[in-house]
Amino acid sequence: MSLATGLICGLVLFSVILIGILVSRPSVTTSRGGKILAFVALFILPIFCGLLGFASEMERSKTTVFCLSCHTMESFGKSLYVDDPTHIPAAHFQNHRVPADQACYSCHTDYAMFGTLKVKLYGLKHVYIYYLGKPPAPENIKLYEPYNNRECLHCHLGARSFEEGVVHNADPATLAAIKSNQLSCVSSGCHDVTHDIAHLNNAKFWKGGGD
Amino acid sequence: MFSANPMEKRLQIAGIFSITGLLVEALCLLWALPITFVIFAMAGGLLMFIGLVIFLYSLVSTT
Repeated sequence: MSLATGLICGLVLFSVILIGILVSRPSVTTSRGGKILAFVALFILPIFCGLLGFASEMERSKTTVFCLSCHTMESFGKSLYVDDPTHIPAAHFQNHRVPADQACYSCHTDYAMFGTLKVKLYGLKHVYIYYLGKPPAPENIKLYEPYNNRECLHCHLGARSFEEGVVHNADPATLAAIKSNQLSCVSSGCHDVTHDIAHLNNAKFWKGGGD
Repeated sequence: MFSANPMEKRLQIAGIFSITGLLVEALCLLWALPITFVIFAMAGGLLMFIGLVIFLYSLVSTT
């Protein structure tokens, strides 16, 4: 348990004790102090605990462990360890081009206004399908929308390796097309090896990481 | 268990809902799983919301 989670649980316990006093002895609310206690215990603290808890849950829902806790995602987690620098997710994960503990979220969030909310709503849909629907086989999982270059450019835009890359500048129109999302970063012949789930059985894996 | 005074009774009911909601939320914080996220938001949030509404109602009710 992290320190933040421990503190929130401590605050929840404190709130439960205060509310418990009010429930067992409601007559204390006849005094002014009792009324203030009731307001704090039954209104302020529950809202405060709820907001803190929600913020904590939102942060944890960004973690790689969280995403890979569903069996459906196991192959995708495994693909992060493929020992092949052309395998884009693996290269990013293994070289910490994205935070290793938030690898899935870093690339699959939507770096636009309300993007986090949007992907979390997708996440709720995934939970619904996982528990109440029929989850597709890992190799049949597709993105809701074509991968947007905005997610790559969130980090790579302005980077020397991107701006001055030989292939990116081979044609004067290429860089502009990438930046305007007209030429996808993951299009064929570019960085097209993403989660190659179908060929994991033949892949060589990196043994490091420890995640 | 419940008080004979209607307002105090409402406070007790609000307290029970809030305690249950808080405990559900605290339990959910112990696991980082998608299902606990849903239970936290849906069950814990709903129970706490009911507790808050009953508490606010007890403040404005005349009986």
